[in-house]
Amino acid sequence: MNRPRQSGSSTAWSLILFATLALFAVTLYWIFVVAPVEQQMGIVQKIFYFHVPSAYAMYIGFGVSAVGSAVYLLKRDPKWDALGVAGAEVGSLFCLIVLLTGPLWARKAWGVWWTWDPRLTTTLLAGMIFAAYLSLRSMGSAGEVEKRFAAGLALFGLVDLPLIHYSVQRWRGVHPTVITGKGGGLESEMYWALGLSFIAFTGLAVLLIWARASAERQREQTAELRFELMHR
Amino acid sequence: MRALIAALVLGSTMLIAPPALADEQPAEPDGGSAETKEDAAEERAAQFVGVRGPEAESVPGGALMLGAYAIVWALLFLYLMRMRGLQRNTAEELERLSAEIRASGGS
Repeated sequence: MNRPRQSGSSTAWSLILFATLALFAVTLYWIFVVAPVEQQMGIVQKIFYFHVPSAYAMYIGFGVSAVGSAVYLLKRDPKWDALGVAGAEVGSLFCLIVLLTGPLWARKAWGVWWTWDPRLTTTLLAGMIFAAYLSLRSMGSAGEVEKRFAAGLALFGLVDLPLIHYSVQRWRGVHPTVITGKGGGLESEMYWALGLSFIAFTGLAVLLIWARASAERQREQTAELRFELMHR
Repeated sequence: MRALIAALVLGSTMLIAPPALADEQPAEPDGGSAETKEDAAEERAAQFVGVRGPEAESVPGGALMLGAYAIVWALLFLYLMRMRGLQRNTAEELERLSAEIRASGGS
């Protein structure tokens, strides 16, 4: 992974890295050893412990991308643009995880791989918006206009995030609401496994966004240096 | 007299035996079973009977769960490889620019 270069931040980054790795080990122990197998669905329910925190990490990534983009539009500071790119990329990674692990659970629970449930559809829509953002940014070295347009796209994607969260309540989808809304909740061991997984995925999302933003900033600086050398 | 009794027994046996054997109708090894098989085949071809209740289809939950966890780790690994590639490209570009600066005698 691309480690941030500054000494102070490098120490913080290393601390978060080791804490996250340790948390993942503990989380996996809780998921597969401590948390009981669910009565109705059986062992396939354990997908839930990575699926839901991945969705949460997706919110973090897309949220950071939207914030970075908004500040970039206001200040035109490249470091915020790098944060926007990093958030969009990491958010898309977790969105892909959500969209691939969800159907594996759905096949057992619902009998189908996919259904056009409001939450599933709005999640897919968010993934497509940020995929468009990344496509725009990957077309060669993005100029100022492309960066601003992509930033606008990230802000548009931000609007979809509350829709994903509240779609189950508003449009009566079939997606489970075990931990939100009027759900029946979980057993205490299940709560612990899920809580640990949430913290571990938060650490992972922070690390990935941090490292990716740092790499993007270095790439931009290298491009600027090359441009200066060419026109010297 | 004995001869008469023996003749009567033989005659009655010959008269009674054929109807008695015909009444038994033993299982015929060839012709009868072929007909039965034909009937069973017609029954199989004529209808599909669905299984009712929760045992309708068995989806392997363990395999699906393993697949899901494998996907998570594989995607994370691929993303880390992508970042490593990006970092390597940047480092190579920096090296090339440094060499250009040294060659041109600049600071």
